[in-house]
Amino acid sequence: MDFAKKLTDYENVTTKSGVRILETKKDVDENDEKAKLENLLLEQANKAASDLFLGSGSRLFSTIKTLSEDSVVRDKDHLIDAKLYPTKLLPPSSIIEAGSLVVIFESFDSLNFVYATPGEVFHNKNGHFHHDDFIGKPYGCKIRSRNNRGFGFLYLLRPTPELWARSLNHRTQIVHELDSAIVIFNLNIRPNMVVCESGTGSGAMSHCIMRAIAPHGKLHTYEFNQMRAHTAKEEFKRNGVDHLVDVHWRDVCGKPSAESTSNDGRETKEGESLTFGSGGFDIGPAAADAIFLDLPEPWLAIPHAAHTIKPNGGLCSYSPCMEQTQRTCQAMRDYGFHSLKTIEVRLREHYVDEVELEKVPTFKLPRDMNVNNYVPGQSVSPVPSNNGESGPEAKDMEVDTNKKEEETKDSKEVKEPVSKKRMLGCRPFSNMRGHTAFLTFAKAGNKSYPDPLKE
Amino acid sequence: MEAKDTTATSSKIDPYLSSPSSTVSEGEFVLLIFPDKRQYFAQALKSQRGKSPSLKINKRSYSTHMLIGLSYGSVLELQKNSLVPLPEGEDVIPNHQDLSIDTEQPTDNTEANDNRHLVDSNTSQGLSIEELAKMRDDKDISGAEIVDKIIQNSSTFQNKTSFSKAKYIKKKQMKYQPRCRIVKCTSASVCEALFIKDARRIMNLREDSLGQILSYSNVTAGSKVLVFDTCMGLITGALAQRMGGYGSIHAVYTGMQPSYIDVIARFNLNFMEHNSIRWVHAGYLFHDEINTQEKLEGDDLDKIEREKVTWPCHLQPHTEKYLLKMESEKKRLEFLQKRCGRFARKLTRPTLDETFASLKDGKKCDSLIIASQYDPKETLTTLLPFLETSCPFVVFSEYMEPLLECFEMLQKEKLAINIRLSDTWLREYQVLPNRTHPNMTMSQNGGFILTGVKLCPIHGINELDEDLMKEIRAEMGTRRGGKKRKNCPRGGEENKLLKKKPSMR
Ligand SMILES: C[S@@+](CC[C@H](N)C(=O)[O-])C[C@H]1O[C@@H](n2cnc3c(N)ncnc32)[C@H](O)[C@@H]1O
Repeated sequence: MDFAKKLTDYENVTTKSGVRILETKKDVDENDEKAKLENLLLEQANKAASDLFLGSGSRLFSTIKTLSEDSVVRDKDHLIDAKLYPTKLLPPSSIIEAGSLVVIFESFDSLNFVYATPGEVFHNKNGHFHHDDFIGKPYGCKIRSRNNRGFGFLYLLRPTPELWARSLNHRTQIVHELDSAIVIFNLNIRPNMVVCESGTGSGAMSHCIMRAIAPHGKLHTYEFNQMRAHTAKEEFKRNGVDHLVDVHWRDVCGKPSAESTSNDGRETKEGESLTFGSGGFDIGPAAADAIFLDLPEPWLAIPHAAHTIKPNGGLCSYSPCMEQTQRTCQAMRDYGFHSLKTIEVRLREHYVDEVELEKVPTFKLPRDMNVNNYVPGQSVSPVPSNNGESGPEAKDMEVDTNKKEEETKDSKEVKEPVSKKRMLGCRPFSNMRGHTAFLTFAKAGNKSYPDPLKE
Repeated sequence: MEAKDTTATSSKIDPYLSSPSSTVSEGEFVLLIFPDKRQYFAQALKSQRGKSPSLKINKRSYSTHMLIGLSYGSVLELQKNSLVPLPEGEDVIPNHQDLSIDTEQPTDNTEANDNRHLVDSNTSQGLSIEELAKMRDDKDISGAEIVDKIIQNSSTFQNKTSFSKAKYIKKKQMKYQPRCRIVKCTSASVCEALFIKDARRIMNLREDSLGQILSYSNVTAGSKVLVFDTCMGLITGALAQRMGGYGSIHAVYTGMQPSYIDVIARFNLNFMEHNSIRWVHAGYLFHDEINTQEKLEGDDLDKIEREKVTWPCHLQPHTEKYLLKMESEKKRLEFLQKRCGRFARKLTRPTLDETFASLKDGKKCDSLIIASQYDPKETLTTLLPFLETSCPFVVFSEYMEPLLECFEMLQKEKLAINIRLSDTWLREYQVLPNRTHPNMTMSQNGGFILTGVKLCPIHGINELDEDLMKEIRAEMGTRRGGKKRKNCPRGGEENKLLKKKPSMR
């Protein structure tokens, strides 16, 4: 995943501009108008540079001023230099290398993934695909199977959190891409933020959050199921995103009861880094910019969230049931959260079809064909003659209409291009994909809450 | 892999790491949101003598200097001629003593009152319109007192059910004791405010659609993004915020100059975020002659001019003379301030040629976003070559039909995969004890989104190398298969599938 990569610096015009904060001259003669003007220019230049780089009314600028007045040796870091602002770009990566994570696109509903490993083969119903054929190819290419005379094919795609969520093995219900997009957007998750999430589940949401907090943010993800916490940790490492995440094997709802202490500090079987803990997010008070809860009993985690979240930080809870949502909303209000907003959002997907609309046939029935004589269940019968008997005349009629129909058919074929209208049409999928849930957003108040475990 | 460092340590040195402040600073835009959904943008400015207050609400003007330093999330009460910050814990709907009602407990159908005696008439209020207007203008009567008076003078209030009492009080409070909350300008809040104000001006781009665009396009810190946005710069600003100054956003504009400065200012972008936006004139991309040329014609005059300037742009003799002649220090200061600001911006701004070069040369884009009033199909065809293969694009439109054309073209010409055309259904709920229900109004149109992943133009059609293909087929000993496939190089099987399922992606 691209966001896992270390950004590389690119020089750009800004870095060459030379706009920076300059030192003003001291001991200017009161009567030297020119020197005074020069200093005025420097001051204003500094103000302009400071406004530009740091925003108007920035505090940093005043620090510099006071420092110079006291003639203290200046901290060089305070001289904001344009060179500190290079463009930081992701390194290009369009070629699949050994070890690269590759999303395998079989069809819209069937995605898979592999880590390209020389010598290995990916099998599916369409054939055998050799990893050696993947390596060196660009992402986005089509690969043919080595068996089946090369008729089987698949596409190799660059992984994104969305494609990952669709291709991974769902160990739990996951947050689908629409919901995750809305959550990250509404929580205003941005680079270098600290975010908490529970439970980790299959890690689908985790990857989306990490994309938004890269390159120096931190996701703390909490899961009380040891297997899941462990698998997620391994997966994050394999996907190269472990520098953005700490996996905590922990019950975030845990009440401060005797039962939890017996669990505390329980080592994992492998004796590795994960140890069990209980009760809330153990990263200290007012530490998280945003918190996302996808738990069966989110209201139990709210007192902990109130302690961990920064003032005015965003909280979101994702629950399929209205009863859960109601209890959670109440807990949020009790713990100083405000601006509550509960929404339900669903994706309507559409097929696009090429539609050909035929014109309504315009041929005219002969005048004496009476519609009222139509008898349900019988094929359209010839029109009876005046005296109610079906005579030879009527039979002739039948032949006649047939002939006419044939004629019109013929003529229609000739006119075909005119009588058919071609257009693109769209039609919604008959079923909505994914499952739905209520999303509740809230903002933390500015009051701080003590750690519920220590009360 | 990057070293495990948290934000705290290096934040003093690396300007990219400064964390957003939780209080309003000078010059910042904020949103003031009222419980009836009215929203106002306000810029926190020090009061300037001689200048009129900058914010107009309910035909009254308010000065915004008091916003500076307040915490985001604080509640303000709109009083006669000022915005008064309230202590922490106050809500936008004030608590009222008459609401000691049992809305918190589940009612067991023992509600004493119901609507059976309700008479719909305008006579239930004892206070006349004139009396009310007088009270409103009276400096000594607070909003809360007016609300109390209205309740006392209502002949029907006591017979109302507890829920309608609450509703009644809320309504009166919103009118006579208006309060609002200071909300940070984020992509979500700015988009919502603009959508409420005039959705058509932002092409019906609802918040949820903008959120999806940002995710589906896979933008992240460090991405190189190409965006064509005629939604007043809303997407461009949101991208800059999402990317935190890392990476570059090439924003296409038409006309003489980018006209979205107004909306982008609402995002309170810092220098890096601002600087990550590079404006590219559409002519560079859509004019056949320029786009196809290897090198741009002529010298980059802007560049030549820029390189002549050195910081701090020493004064020309005649300027110096002019300044020394000025009477007041204040005027001199103003002149220099403007001049320095102008030069600073000029020096740090890439020229159009440079921007185009940085888009065209080197790394291709990681994401392509189109949300423009111009023909999406043509736009997509022109801009798709700038996108790296296997990278996602998102096309947004107010209408579905233009996207159908794009969809068909992408599929027919095998330019993309994972193509999806969608819109969203969004419903908001009021969740309160015993009063949970969908909101009365529901937006029906948030726009349509087409997304997909670009395929590799060469390898997307012709997979394995020819040699390897021959080898495989020789091994299988089936010449016929090989010949047949040569006739339809795009893969017979695939075409068949496409015919069967017209919308297979
Ligand atoms: C629906 S899953 C989360 C899925 C995840 N958001 C994703 O997108 O992949 C919920 C997870 O929460 C975990 N969980 C439930 N209660 C918990 C608690 N009290 N503390 C920590 N984790 C908990 C469950 O084990 C489960 O894995």
